[in-house]
Amino acid sequence: MSCPGFGELNIPSSRAFWDDCDEDEFENITPAEKLELKFEAEWADSKTPFESDLLVVIEGSQISHFGTSVLAKDTKRVCSIPAKSSSLHWNPENKQLLAILEDDLTMSGEVTELLLPFAKVAKKVVTLTLKAKVEFKSEEIQLYSDDIAIVRGVGATEKGITELEAPNFIAGVAAGVATWRDQQELPISSFVIYTDKIPLDSTAAQPVLKLLQSVGVACTSSYIPPRKDSSYLYM
Amino acid sequence: MLFLKNKSTSLDVSDHTVIIPSICVGNAAQLACDLLIASKQLHRIGSLSHPALIPVYGPSAYQHEPNEKVSSCELYEGAEDKLLVVQFRAPWIARHTASFQSQLVELLKSARRVVILSGSFGFERRVIEESPWAYRASANFKEAHAAQLGNSELIKWKEHTGEAIYGGGNALQLFKAFDEQKVPVMLLFRYLLEGDNSTDASLIVRELNELCEDFLQLRSSGDGSFKLTVPKSWNLLFGNDVTELLF
Repeated sequence: MSCPGFGELNIPSSRAFWDDCDEDEFENITPAEKLELKFEAEWADSKTPFESDLLVVIEGSQISHFGTSVLAKDTKRVCSIPAKSSSLHWNPENKQLLAILEDDLTMSGEVTELLLPFAKVAKKVVTLTLKAKVEFKSEEIQLYSDDIAIVRGVGATEKGITELEAPNFIAGVAAGVATWRDQQELPISSFVIYTDKIPLDSTAAQPVLKLLQSVGVACTSSYIPPRKDSSYLYM
Repeated sequence: MLFLKNKSTSLDVSDHTVIIPSICVGNAAQLACDLLIASKQLHRIGSLSHPALIPVYGPSAYQHEPNEKVSSCELYEGAEDKLLVVQFRAPWIARHTASFQSQLVELLKSARRVVILSGSFGFERRVIEESPWAYRASANFKEAHAAQLGNSELIKWKEHTGEAIYGGGNALQLFKAFDEQKVPVMLLFRYLLEGDNSTDASLIVRELNELCEDFLQLRSSGDGSFKLTVPKSWNLLFGNDVTELLF
């Protein structure tokens, strides 16, 4: 019986590149092709940014089902965003634009640039990032051991929302949009929820729905996660 | 994309010393820049965004500027010392790096001098008795700093001549890009290992001060000791305390 990797010296790659490139291969990397939003047929001709009253950017791992079933009701799909199964939805009735973004840090800088035209013309922008609870850093972490979710805001003025403290931060498209709005001194409400269940289940979704409703985002009052096939394992 | 707080569309660094960290082993160069910014209480003048940079957003990293929000690439200035420090808070995306690097060089090519800080894997130092420091400098930088670099009592660095600095990220490529533009540029790096690199960071700042004491002036008056301020973003550098429930 062999033990693969035993005795091998694994030299760590440098921290410089997120997409794991070594110093001696850096100069041979082909430049990236420009990403584009893939518009649905209905919007293919116009492609002009929607002047929304509210732009909601929700980002996290395995967020698509939650986003489409809870937030995208009565909306029309505008385009797919080139980061896994991410998409943009438009609700013409309440002029709410919704970006549902699967966690993909490699493309996040470029996707941010694709969404900035929409963020520029939006009257108000709300970003929400979902992260695993284990990523939350605090000197008093034991206080949160029984919490389903830890809700924090970054520069948010909403009542009852605790401000995120260093060294915590958010990363990704939501962070990019929030940074740009903040730099342009445009209104931005940015939130992060550290949840103990990813993908969200009906219980873990409750703090998320409560926050969204409190900041005026149109959404349903509950969430039913997709049914999973039985694993046929005896427990 | 350059964003400046004074709404200007260009950055005037013609009489500035620019310090840039590479994203290297142990993040030591970024930690060194953190120490510089916090200790000298430099003011944020703007930021840069680019597809090569993973966007980040969050509370201020420094005590002296509590209302700022962190971003992936921040620009800090010490107007009196004519010092500009670039700080990166995220790793780069390799396939966009060449484009970002050329934009960065274009933005800073009018600088009086550029110092790139970096680190290399400790096991790359082949002769253990040799200095843990190495540098590479352009001809015009060497000429301008002949007195300091030639002072063997003060500077004990080895000149690097290799083709790569393993663990140093894009430091060497950035050095070459500035050198091509005839910008006086020096790359200073330390051989180090992953771990608690806060000590390496303070050593990098001290070593840099030997060369650049005229503008860094980090030595407090009198006894010659250093006074470095640790930023609040260094809290919990290795994560939360281990929960007692484990035991």
